[in-house]
Amino acid sequence: MAMISAGGTTGAGLVGIGLRTPHLAEIIATPPPIGWLEVHTENYLGGGPAPRALARVRGEHAVSLHGVGLSLGSADGLDRAHLARVAELTRRIEPALVSEHLSWSIAGGAYLNHLLPLPYTEESLGLVARNVSRAQEALGRPLLIENPSSYLRFRHSPIPEPEFLSELVRRTGCGLLCDVNNVFVSCRNFDRDPAAYLDALPAAAIGEVHLAGHARNEAEGRIILIDDHGSPVTDEVWALFARALDRFGPRPTLIEWDTDVPALAVLLGEARRAEAAIARAVATGGPRAVAA
Amino acid sequence: MPSLRELERDLRVALLGGDDGPAQAAIQGDGLDPGARLGIYRHHVITTLTAALQATYPVVCRLVDERFFAYAADRFIRDTPPSGPCLFEYGAGLADFLAGFPPCHALPYLADVARLEWALQRALHAPEAVPLPMRAVEGVAPEAAASLTFTLDASASWLASPYPTDRIWRANQTDAPGPEVVDLAAGGARLEARRQGDHAIFRALDPGSFAFRRALATGANLAAATGAALAVDPAFGLAPALAALFEDELPVAFTCTPSHPGDQPCQSQP
Repeated sequence: MAMISAGGTTGAGLVGIGLRTPHLAEIIATPPPIGWLEVHTENYLGGGPAPRALARVRGEHAVSLHGVGLSLGSADGLDRAHLARVAELTRRIEPALVSEHLSWSIAGGAYLNHLLPLPYTEESLGLVARNVSRAQEALGRPLLIENPSSYLRFRHSPIPEPEFLSELVRRTGCGLLCDVNNVFVSCRNFDRDPAAYLDALPAAAIGEVHLAGHARNEAEGRIILIDDHGSPVTDEVWALFARALDRFGPRPTLIEWDTDVPALAVLLGEARRAEAAIARAVATGGPRAVAA
Repeated sequence: MPSLRELERDLRVALLGGDDGPAQAAIQGDGLDPGARLGIYRHHVITTLTAALQATYPVVCRLVDERFFAYAADRFIRDTPPSGPCLFEYGAGLADFLAGFPPCHALPYLADVARLEWALQRALHAPEAVPLPMRAVEGVAPEAAASLTFTLDASASWLASPYPTDRIWRANQTDAPGPEVVDLAAGGARLEARRQGDHAIFRALDPGSFAFRRALATGANLAAATGAALAVDPAFGLAPALAALFEDELPVAFTCTPSHPGDQPCQSQP
């Protein structure tokens, strides 16, 4: 099983990109100089060319399985058949990382294809913790749980999101995937301070970082940021990434790009920029800037 | 205050185009109408599921044009949202939906074209299978052969239509040579769809082979499948049909019933 390198002083090896279908043939033909590749788990749960290609890719690169369908926040509980398929793929691929989201997407047997928001209450915390524990038991390894992008919040949601995630770590032993773009998007959408959000996360639990672009939409005269993974990482998110590096130290870092996917070289360019940021943090950082 | 289960049910109703009152009541506006905030999520749900259906049904989309497809998909998604998170498995029911969707009644072949596209989609993502060599059945006692039943390659399916769905499909590929007029009265199609290598393909079968293979696929034994083939083609020959079945690497397992009481039933080794 290929592992993700600690990154050393250059950051090389620590940065990955999301593997997207338009780049698949190119990546198989000429494995690019990139630390690792992340795939969306649900695209590889059938037979045929997709899982065959993944089996080839994992021979050259460490792979991360990033799930969007476990629906860890479903009050109905986990879909056991789906969990069994994810566990089977995990056994087969031996990924370096396995991650999912703090969200729900299934209710009453309907899958809504969105990472939907939860109210942050004691009830939700108990339920998500139970689902995360069950999933980890089935997968035989800890999950990294990603903070969501939010466009709404509930009237009754008394626990701040970073606190909710910290308590989830404490109760289940899971790790966290800190999506820096999501932190930025959610905090901007609700007039919160993204730096304070980062500071409230348990640094030792961060096992992966995501970087992506977002869109700016206007609704009723208000700017709403939308996490569409369809453009370069913005300068503000790069600045927040530098702060995350300072706070967490270097972590496996992913460039995500899902809509209007550009040439592979563009993604690799973003990856080089992330590596440079990591190298700077290592060069200037204190004791925190040591790879986990 | 609703329970989490109630809240998720309320959001589900709102996101699939139902009454969004209960969901709105749970949402803090933060300077925006709660309905507008729900709308951001609803837009994503509907557009991404529509895109998933478009990817599975490109020919149907071309036949009705993208705007009408989005309109039909919106109705379909509300009625039949995905039951699981693997979107390559979503949309099995679109053909039946289109068949019963009044605005599509002017295109009577549309549902069968959708069935062909679904067969190709299924084929592409079907579980891997190891084909059985013909010698695997050579040890079956002749008197038990009539009772042979086969499990066929899970990627394969058989589709009959009174319309030339194969020609309609080909004429609507993006790399088709040019506009082609397909005569709907030119005769129907009997097609076998399956995965070959990394691609899903289909081909036309003669009536006897089609009846034989489709009967075997639905669990008929060799005698019954032969009967089904002879009913449509009196010249049907079992020996070449069986050889072709193995040459095409369709059987992946078999069982047969012993002709003498007390004999062990026979089956392929997994």
